[in-house]
Amino acid sequence: MGQKVTFMVNGSQRSVELDGWERLIDVLREKLNLTGTKRGCDDASCGACVVVVDGVAQRSCVYPASKMEGKKIVTIEGISNGTKLHPIQEAMIEAGAVQCGYCIPGIVMELYARFANKPDASEEEIVEALSRHLCRCTGYEAILEGATLAQKKMSAGRK
Amino acid sequence: MEFKYVGKNIARPDAAAKVTGRVQFIDDLRLPGLLHAAFLWPPYAHAKILSIDTSEAEKCEGVVKVVTGKDITFRYGENIKDRLPLAVGKVRWIGEPLAAVIAENVYQARQAVKKIKAEYEQLPVYVDARDAMKEGAALIHEESGTFEHLPGMEAVPGTNIAGRYTLKKGDVEKGFREAEVILEGEFNYPFGSCSALEPHGAIAWFHEDSTIEIWSSSICPFIVREDVARVYRLPVSAVRVHIPELGGCFGYKSDVTIEQTVAYIASFVPGRPVKWVATRKEDLLSTLIGHGMRTRIKIGAKKDGTLTALKTTILHSTGASKDTGIHVLIASTHNSTGAYEFPHCQLEGISVYTNTPPVGAYRGYGHQESQFAMERMMDILARKLTMDPFVLREKNYLGPGKTTSLGEKLWESNGNVRKCADTVKDIVFSKPRKVKEDDRYYYGRGFAALMKSPKGASFSSKSCYLKFNADGSVSINMGGAEVGQGLRTVVRQVAAETLKISPEKIAVYTEIDTQFSPWEWQTIGSMFTIQGGRAIIRACEKAIAQMKRTASQVLRVDEDRLVYDGECIYLNHDPSVKVAVSQLARGYTYDDGVTVGEVVHTTADARLPRQSNPDACGQGTMGITYTFGAQGCEIRIEKKTGKVFIDHFVSCFDIGKVINPRQLRGQVTGGAMMAIGATLHEELKFTPDGQAVNPHFSTYRFPTIEDAPKKWTVEFVETPEFIGPYGARGIGEHPVIGVAPSILNAIYDAIGVDFHEIPVTPEKIMQALVGEGKK
Repeated sequence: MGQKVTFMVNGSQRSVELDGWERLIDVLREKLNLTGTKRGCDDASCGACVVVVDGVAQRSCVYPASKMEGKKIVTIEGISNGTKLHPIQEAMIEAGAVQCGYCIPGIVMELYARFANKPDASEEEIVEALSRHLCRCTGYEAILEGATLAQKKMSAGRK
Repeated sequence: MEFKYVGKNIARPDAAAKVTGRVQFIDDLRLPGLLHAAFLWPPYAHAKILSIDTSEAEKCEGVVKVVTGKDITFRYGENIKDRLPLAVGKVRWIGEPLAAVIAENVYQARQAVKKIKAEYEQLPVYVDARDAMKEGAALIHEESGTFEHLPGMEAVPGTNIAGRYTLKKGDVEKGFREAEVILEGEFNYPFGSCSALEPHGAIAWFHEDSTIEIWSSSICPFIVREDVARVYRLPVSAVRVHIPELGGCFGYKSDVTIEQTVAYIASFVPGRPVKWVATRKEDLLSTLIGHGMRTRIKIGAKKDGTLTALKTTILHSTGASKDTGIHVLIASTHNSTGAYEFPHCQLEGISVYTNTPPVGAYRGYGHQESQFAMERMMDILARKLTMDPFVLREKNYLGPGKTTSLGEKLWESNGNVRKCADTVKDIVFSKPRKVKEDDRYYYGRGFAALMKSPKGASFSSKSCYLKFNADGSVSINMGGAEVGQGLRTVVRQVAAETLKISPEKIAVYTEIDTQFSPWEWQTIGSMFTIQGGRAIIRACEKAIAQMKRTASQVLRVDEDRLVYDGECIYLNHDPSVKVAVSQLARGYTYDDGVTVGEVVHTTADARLPRQSNPDACGQGTMGITYTFGAQGCEIRIEKKTGKVFIDHFVSCFDIGKVINPRQLRGQVTGGAMMAIGATLHEELKFTPDGQAVNPHFSTYRFPTIEDAPKKWTVEFVETPEFIGPYGARGIGEHPVIGVAPSILNAIYDAIGVDFHEIPVTPEKIMQALVGEGKK
């Protein structure tokens, strides 16, 4: 009881005491009040809880909190800057990919990791990343459009 | 008419807050002293409860209270009061809660639930209406027949038949005598789940001053408020219901369900709020599920394709409560004609209690289940008559002057199914098919026409509260639930168009609170745009009239000589004689401080015009308007696996007027995708003893991006509807209706096999190919 873990979240160092049962999602939502990360299922199959840990998209609902020690974590709260949205967020809005808004944080974080690791990911690779996420609202057309638009925006931003 | 804002891709007002994760869904709310609940679910789908021992659970760390159903003295329900907040005496389905632990955190609550000991005596289980209605079947509700209910929903006491709806139009026997061809078929649309990505949840807080505050991921706050007030004998005004952001609905967050359970357990810990948010398994088994309808259909026709008679019998496995399913069944029954006129109809729906989760609203509300049967039958009948299926349909489409099964005579303004069908036909069928099969695939094309009737209650209304601010900007409050469909954008566009001001100057409500929000019955039936839009226009026009009244004093002219342009009110023949809207918003103040006129804020509402209850023949007026459409697809079936690939899915609806093209496309692709899931993958399965087979997303096969059609085409016909704002009609549910029959018609086209039930999985296709000697 009472293991302490220290890690970076969205650029700030944080420490929390664990009771032992928590997963990463519980630490983010219940201890740090970072509620942008969503819980949509109970068996790691919907992707709504995806955050980026040391550059890799991870399902926070099955990521043990005890493994957070020393990790760099980025959540949906950490990628926009005040009123300046991240290009992935802008693209999702422009493509009409936002309906109920529940799956979107996980999808944005998946793409954030995808494009950080491979800025020129092919459409197949983007679809492969998106296939780990469930959306009940859109039929996925607008989400794929948003993802490819985001890639273009980010590529233009680097030039 | 030229439009400035209607018909444009105006941005969603809520998009930035959603894409940053900043909006608050029910599980994101933080309240002082919040307690958490977990429930004990039964191991059996039908059993007497012999004993419940909570003593060990009460001793667990963090536990504040353990509640069982032993002292419950009330039932609830909107249509029929056959629901209990916790099981009393027996359990009737696998997801019926029978005890709750309230603890300081959810982990503690779940740990303590494991310590509750209960003993049961198993009873016979029925998961299908056909078994539950057999003579001598054990009763699921021994008290059935004594529950309080609305008129016309009588159960058959001493049986599991929970209710019947019968519709008679003309003389069905005469219709079959006139027929030269009679065709019968039976089609099954099994259980499914709406499965919004946000699970359903609620918070209830019994305050020290005898008021109750509730938060729920619900689309009917005012119904929840009234029902909770009734149970706890409080004035309706003493119950306050908040609706935070909703992560999808698709039907099952309507009606009163989990709120009564959470309120009941919270009543044991007054002074502290209690939260319960379903896990996915709980969301699938303990809220509401969809469908469970078996449709038997008999059609009579002349040799030239003229339809003469329709007999439909729908058996509905409604689950352990019929409260939320009975209207779905009624809608399914009278809509079983599809988009066709039958002069003689006898349509019957039989609601049967089963030991499965209660069926409730699911996007489409009964339409897709029975029109699946009708649209498959149209193709089969055309084959029997050796007619082109399009010609058969065209001969019988509903339209101006034709009457629906309900006896409603349609007007031109109800929409044009022929135009929708022609659009889909041109896109999918006008080119000759390239190949019928190659080494790897069979190819097929399918079509279905559809009709969506309205569904409401005669008293139902949607209201709008509109407030002009000092600078001429506007704030709007309504009671309509934004579930992702984009109604906030529609509010902005309709109000901007009517008030002639830019959408950015209109702030739209972000949450519903029964203390502040104007009354709305509930946000169902794809009616927000048409009904809510009319309420907005009325509120805007009242505000303009108010400002003209004040301006007539200021400018010293009659009101009917004044013109409003969004910025000013001016004299019709001399625009230089004017007063600014910003000077009128709170009355007009002269230089000496004397102020005249009213503060500009208005309320308005819009009902379902002429909506009536069913008469003795089951007929009546549905109010508002019908919507017609058509869907079609091009598919490939992989020979090796039996997997169906949708290369192109086409939808066309007579929308009346396109308000926001991008949002409409998203509604259509999203709705069609849900129904593609139901057609090819999704089924919520139960074993014969009522156990859930696949109550998680890993096994309940929800479609992913890899299941999406390679190409979507979405088209609209615009036949103006006079009731709707600028001619618009609804769209939310319509895209699910024609999907299953169009795909199954395409499967027949590809491999010559008629399927009568969904989902058509690769395994079923492989079996059929073996049966056809194609494997």
